[in-house]
Amino acid sequence: MLPDPFSIFPLRAVTGSVVRCDFAPVCRLLLVLALFGPLPCAAAQTADPDPVAVLIDTAIDQQNTAAGITIAPQADPDTLLRRTTLDLAGRIPTSRERDWYLQLPAETRQQQLVDRLMQLPDFEFHLRNSLDEMLLPERPNDGEFREYLLTAVRERRPWSRMFREMLLAAPAEGPDKGAAQFVRSRVRELDDLTNDTAVLFFGVNISCAKCHDHPLVADWKQDHYYGMQAFFHRTFTSKKNLILEKPFGGVKFRTTAGADRDAVLMFLNGAVVTDATPTYSDEEKKSAEEQIRRLEREDDAQPVPVSFSPRQALADTALADQQQQYLARNIINRTWARLVGTGFVDPPDQMHSGNPASHPELLQSLGTDLVTHDYDLRRLIRSIVLTKAYARASIWTTETPLPAAQTFAVAVARPLTPRQLSASLLIATRTSESWPAVDEVTARPEEWQKRRTDLENQANGWMREFEQPSRDFQIAVDEALFFSNNDRVQNDLLRDGGDRLVNSLKTAETPQQAARLLWTVACSREPAEADTQVVVDWFARAAQRREADVQALLWAVLAGAEFRFNH
Amino acid sequence: MGVNDEPVAGMSAETTPAASENSAAVSVPFAPSKVSIDRTVRLPSMTFCLARHAQSGRVFCGGADFGLHSFDPAAEKPETKPLSEVRHSSYVTGVVNAGGTLISGGYDRSLIWWNAETGEQLRKVEGAHDRWIRSLAVSPDGQRLATVADDMRTKIWDTVSGACLLTLEGYDLQTPQGFPSMLYAVCFSADGRRLATGNRTGKVLIRDAGTGEIQQTIEAPVMYTWDPKARRHSIGGIRSLAFSGDGSLLAVGGMGQVGNIDHLEGKSRIEVFRLPTGERVHEIEDSKYKGLVEKLQFSENQKWLLAAGGDNGGFLSAWSLESGKLLAQEKLGNHLHAFEMLSDRTLVTVGHDQASLVTLSAG
Amino acid sequence: MSGQRLIPVPSGLVHPAGVSRRGFLGGAAVGVGGALATDMRGVQGLRAEEIAGELRRGEKHVILLWLAGGASQLETWDPKPGAKTGGPFAAIPTNVSGIQVSELLPKLAQRMHLTAVIRSLNTKIADHGGGADLMERGRPDDPGLRYPDLGAVVAKELGRLESTVPDYVSLYTSTEGRRKGTSGFLGARYAPLFLAENMAPPNTGLHERLTAAEHQDRAALRDLLSKRFTAEHRGSTVGSLNSAYQRVQGMMASAGLFNIEQEPAEVRARYGPTQFGEQCLIARRLVEAGVPFVKVARAWWDSHGQNFETHLELCADLDHCMSVLLDDLQQRGLLEKTLVITLGEFGRTPGINASLGRDHFASAWSCSLSGMGIRGGVVHGATDAEGQTVKDGEASAADLFATILQAVGIDHTHEYMVGSRPTPLADFGSQPIRSVLV
Repeated sequence: MLPDPFSIFPLRAVTGSVVRCDFAPVCRLLLVLALFGPLPCAAAQTADPDPVAVLIDTAIDQQNTAAGITIAPQADPDTLLRRTTLDLAGRIPTSRERDWYLQLPAETRQQQLVDRLMQLPDFEFHLRNSLDEMLLPERPNDGEFREYLLTAVRERRPWSRMFREMLLAAPAEGPDKGAAQFVRSRVRELDDLTNDTAVLFFGVNISCAKCHDHPLVADWKQDHYYGMQAFFHRTFTSKKNLILEKPFGGVKFRTTAGADRDAVLMFLNGAVVTDATPTYSDEEKKSAEEQIRRLEREDDAQPVPVSFSPRQALADTALADQQQQYLARNIINRTWARLVGTGFVDPPDQMHSGNPASHPELLQSLGTDLVTHDYDLRRLIRSIVLTKAYARASIWTTETPLPAAQTFAVAVARPLTPRQLSASLLIATRTSESWPAVDEVTARPEEWQKRRTDLENQANGWMREFEQPSRDFQIAVDEALFFSNNDRVQNDLLRDGGDRLVNSLKTAETPQQAARLLWTVACSREPAEADTQVVVDWFARAAQRREADVQALLWAVLAGAEFRFNH
Repeated sequence: MGVNDEPVAGMSAETTPAASENSAAVSVPFAPSKVSIDRTVRLPSMTFCLARHAQSGRVFCGGADFGLHSFDPAAEKPETKPLSEVRHSSYVTGVVNAGGTLISGGYDRSLIWWNAETGEQLRKVEGAHDRWIRSLAVSPDGQRLATVADDMRTKIWDTVSGACLLTLEGYDLQTPQGFPSMLYAVCFSADGRRLATGNRTGKVLIRDAGTGEIQQTIEAPVMYTWDPKARRHSIGGIRSLAFSGDGSLLAVGGMGQVGNIDHLEGKSRIEVFRLPTGERVHEIEDSKYKGLVEKLQFSENQKWLLAAGGDNGGFLSAWSLESGKLLAQEKLGNHLHAFEMLSDRTLVTVGHDQASLVTLSAG
Repeated sequence: MSGQRLIPVPSGLVHPAGVSRRGFLGGAAVGVGGALATDMRGVQGLRAEEIAGELRRGEKHVILLWLAGGASQLETWDPKPGAKTGGPFAAIPTNVSGIQVSELLPKLAQRMHLTAVIRSLNTKIADHGGGADLMERGRPDDPGLRYPDLGAVVAKELGRLESTVPDYVSLYTSTEGRRKGTSGFLGARYAPLFLAENMAPPNTGLHERLTAAEHQDRAALRDLLSKRFTAEHRGSTVGSLNSAYQRVQGMMASAGLFNIEQEPAEVRARYGPTQFGEQCLIARRLVEAGVPFVKVARAWWDSHGQNFETHLELCADLDHCMSVLLDDLQQRGLLEKTLVITLGEFGRTPGINASLGRDHFASAWSCSLSGMGIRGGVVHGATDAEGQTVKDGEASAADLFATILQAVGIDHTHEYMVGSRPTPLADFGSQPIRSVLV
C-alpha cells in the first residue's frame, strides 16, 4: 500500500519563519493544466510564457504573498545575461554575446537568450559537467563516465533512461560503456553503493538507518536500508572490470533488538519486490560460486547465467513509482537547487516527512510533469531559467530582513564551479575580438563546436586548482594563495600577447576606455563610475601605463568577489 | 655447523647407506634432484636455531619460548622435551655443540653453557653483548665460539673457559639513513682459520679467526632494501653465510630488493663469491620462492649448495655450483630458520612451528 | 618593507615617501568613500619571532604524531614480556614507579611523568582505510555525512578566524597510506594545509616578477574592487573569499615557520637527522607561532613481516624525536598549552606470524597523551596476559576523542547542526576518560 503523496508532505501552517497557506486548489488546477493542456515548445521569437515557469512562479508568489514577504526586483539585464550564460553554457558571456543580447527586445530577451544558449555545444558540455559533479564527485576526471554523459546529453536521452543505464551498468561498447562507472566506482563499498544511489537518484539519505531505525525520520527503518542494500548485494566486478551480478544471495542483518533477519528487496516507498531467484541446489551453487571466483580472477572466464537481476528490479520499481516519484522529484529538486541556490527540499538528500518541501504541491506537480514529458531535463531546465524567481536580483536593498532561502524571494550569489571558473577565466583574459560574434557562431556552428571544445579542454587543465563547492562552501586560503602567487596565474593567465586583454588594456587610449574594456569583458557590464575612478587612480600613479600595472588591475578583477560568484 | 664440524667417524656411523652409495659412485658425484619430507615434529614455539648433538643422538633447538628443547631425529615419532626449567629471558637465536657441551645465546644478550644430558646450566655470561645476540658459530675443533650482535661487535670466546678472547668491531652502529643497524650472520671456515660476518646493509667481513684481523670486505648491497619514499624504513640484511669445504667459495644469503617492505616479498637471494679474489661467481634469485635465505650449506663434494628460508612459507632448495641452476626444491612448512645435516643426504630443518626430517635423493 | 619600488602617487595627494600602497588607496578612496581598515603588514615585514610573540598568549595546541600503518602496542606502550605473544623485547621501568614500557622506548620511559597511556582501545575496525577514517574522525564513516577529522575540529574550536597562521597543518611525506585529512562538513576554511612533497607550503613565495609592494598594492586593489559586491551580497560563502585573501599575507609571512634552517644548529642537532625529527621540529615551530593543530605522520608501521626489525627502526625514531619534542615544548613553556598524541589507525596482533610479523589488530591496543590537560604518569585500562582482549577500562574511538577535546578545553558534547542533524563534536554516547585528565 503506497501512502498518499499529500500525506507525506502535509502542508503546515508554519514552517520555521515562513508562513505558508494552503493553496492546494490553485495548484491542483495548474497541475491539470500542466498535465493535459498543450505545452508548446516556445519558438525563439515569441514571448509565450512557459507554462511550467508560470506554474512555479505562481506557487512561489502565492506563498510569499500570503506570508507578506517582499520579493526582490528582477535582476538587471547584464546580471541576468551573465547568470543565465553561466548556468546554461558553463562560462561567462563574451562581450560580443552581450552586444547581441542588449539589442534584443526586452520582452523576449531572456527567452531568446535561453533558446540560443541551449542550442550551443556549451549547453551540452555544461549539463554533462553538472551531472558529472553530482554523480561522481570524488572522481572529477573520469573520462569514460564523462564521455557517456556527454553522449546521453547530446542525444537528449530522458533522465529515466540514463538512470537505468547507470544502474544496470550493462557491458557496452563505445561511449555507453562509461555508464557503468557510477556503480563501478562504488562496487567495493556496498554501503556507498547503496547510500549514494539513494542520495543521488532518490534524494534520500538512509545511512542512519543502517545501524538503527532512523532517529529523526519515521520513514526510514533498518528494513529500508537493508532493503536497498539487497538490490546491490549481488553486484561484483569481473577481472575484465565488467559489472556483473551473482545469480543468488541475500543480505542478512541484525536488528537493534538483536534479531537476525534476511533483508527483503524493499524500495524506499516500502514496495517489496518479489525475489524471482530460482532455487539452486547446493551443487549448482557451488559450481556457480567457483565460476564467479574464476570471473574475478581470469580474463576469459564465462559469465554466470543470471535469471533475476535485483538492480534491474530496482530500476523497474523506481520508474514504476507513480506516487512518490523519488527519481523525478530528486532530479527536479537538485536541478532547481543548482540553478537557484537552494532546493524545495533542503538539504537535497533529506526528502522525507520530517523535512517537508517548501512547496510540496509544486514539487509534486513538477514531478508529474517531468514523468509525463519523458523525464526531459532540457525542458525542465528551460522552464526554470524562464521563471521570474530565477531572474530576481541577488542584492537585497529593502529594509526588511533578508527572506529565508526557501522563499526564493531574492537570488543567491553562488560560487562558480571549478569548470565554470576556469572557462570564465580563459574568456576574461582574452580580447573581445578573439571570440566570434553571435551571427558568426550561428553561421558556422562547427567552428564554434571546435572552439568550445578547445576551451573545455583548456578549462580542464585549470579546474584542479579550485574546489568543487559544497553546502555552506567556504573558499579556502589555498585558492587565494594560488591566485596570489602561482606561476601559472602570473605567466599564463596574465600573459601579454596579440589576443590578450592585457594587450588591449595597455593600448587603450584612456584609462576610462581601459576600464570599459575590462568591465565589459570580465564582468559583463559597464563599469560604474567608482570602478572607472579606481582605474584612473591606479594608472595615475605612473607616467606610463606599465604592463605590470595592467596585469595587476586585471588580476584584481579576476580575483575579486564579483568574478568569483554567479550572482 | 653440519658436515663440517663433525668427526668423520661420527658421520659414517650414521650415514652408512648414503655413504656407501656415495663411495660406490665416485665417478658420478651425488647431486640431489628431489627433496622429500620423511617426518615432521611439532615444535613448542617459533624456533630459530638448532644443534646436532652426536653424543646423545639428539637435536637441540631454541626459539621464542626462551628455552632449549630436544628431540630424537631417529625416532619413529619424535617428541620434544625441554632441556631445562632454566631459560633465557628472550628469544634464543643461536645454539652450538662445542665438544659435547651446548652453548646458547639470544636476544637477552647472554650466553649459557649447558650439560646436554642433564640440562644443568654450567655457565652463564650475562651481558655478553650490549644488544641482541643474533647468531652463534663454533669452530670445527669445538674450541672457540663466535657471536655476533646488534651492538655490531663480533666476539670470540673460549668454549672451555668461557673467556672472551677477542672483541671485534668494523661495522657502523647505524644504517646510512640513521637507524639502528643489525649484525645477523657469522660462520667459520672448515679449517677454522677464517671467520665471516654479515650485517643489515650487506657488508661481509672476512677475518683471521685467530687475530680478528680483517682480511677482506665483500659487499652485497642488494640484500638491503631501504625504502626512502613509500614507507621510510628498511628490510633485509645478510642472514646466512657459508664457506665451501676447501675455503675457496663464500655463499651469502638474504633477500633481493623488495617493493612492499611490509612483507617478506623479495626474491630469496644467494650470492657466491670466489676467495680470495672476491669475484662474484653466482647471483641467484629464486623467482618461485620469496623471502629470506636463513641458512646455507655447501655439499661435501662442493658441487652444490643447500639453502633454506622463506616468507610465511618455507623452502629448501639445492643449487648447482657449476651452473647456478636449481637442482631440487620443496616447499617446506612455514618459514625455515635453520637446518643441520644428519648425513650428506639427510637433514633436519626447524622453522616457525615445526621441524622436518628431510631426505635428498637423485632421481 | 625594505627594497620596495617607489611608485609615483596621484597628483594632488601628499604621501610619505615610499608608502605607495597607502598612497594609492588614499587616492582611490576618494572615489569609493573610505579606505580599507585592514592592517596589512608587509610580506617580508613580519618575522617569525614576532608572530610567535604576538600570538603565544592564551593559545592551545595539539600535535598529533600519527603512527601510520599501525604501530604495535606490544613493542611500545603495552609490553607483555615472557608471554607467548610478547615477542623478544623486554619491558623496562619508567621514571614513574609501577609503569613499564617496551625497552624500545628508553627515552620516553624517562619522561613517563608527562604522559598518560591508554592501553584499552577497542576500535574494532582493522583495515587501513576504515581504521584511519575512524581514528581520524572519532566515529565510524557515514556515507551520508562527511565528518571533519580531529585537526579540523580543533582548528575550528581553537583557531582564530582571522588568524594569520594556518590553523591545521598536516605533514605526510611518505606515500604509503597517505591521507590528506578532511574538514568534512566544516568546509574548506578548516581543511588542512597539507604538505606531502615539499616542506614549504605551496604558493607562499613572492613571484619573481613582483615586488612585495606591488603584491600588496594589487591585493589592496582587489579588496577595494570587491568591497561593494561583498557589502551587497551577504552570506558566509561570499564572505569567505575576502577572508581567504586577507590570510594571504600572514600565510606568506608564516612560510618561514616551515624552514628549520632558521633554527640554531644546536636545536636541529637535538632533533636529529631523520625526517621525522625535522618534522617534529617544524611542529614545534608552528605551535610556537600559534598554529592550533599540527599532524606529523610517521609512516609506515605496517609490519606484516619482520615486526621486530621494523619496530627496532621506527621506535628508535619515535622514542628519540618525541622525547626531544616534549623537552623542547617544556623548556619553552609550551607543553602546558600543547597536547601531544601518539595514535594510528590500529595496533597489531598479539599473534606473531611465520614472517615474524604482526598483522592488523583493533581489539586491544594503545595510544598516548602527553602535555596539556593530561595527568602524566598514568596508565588507563589493561589488556589480558597475552594482549588479546581488553580486560579493564575499555575505550572507543569516540571516548578517546572526547578525552582529547576535554584535555584542551573543548566541550565534547557541543553540537554542530548539519542540515537537520545535530552532530556532537565527539560521537553520541562518548565518555571522556577521566583518569587521564587533570
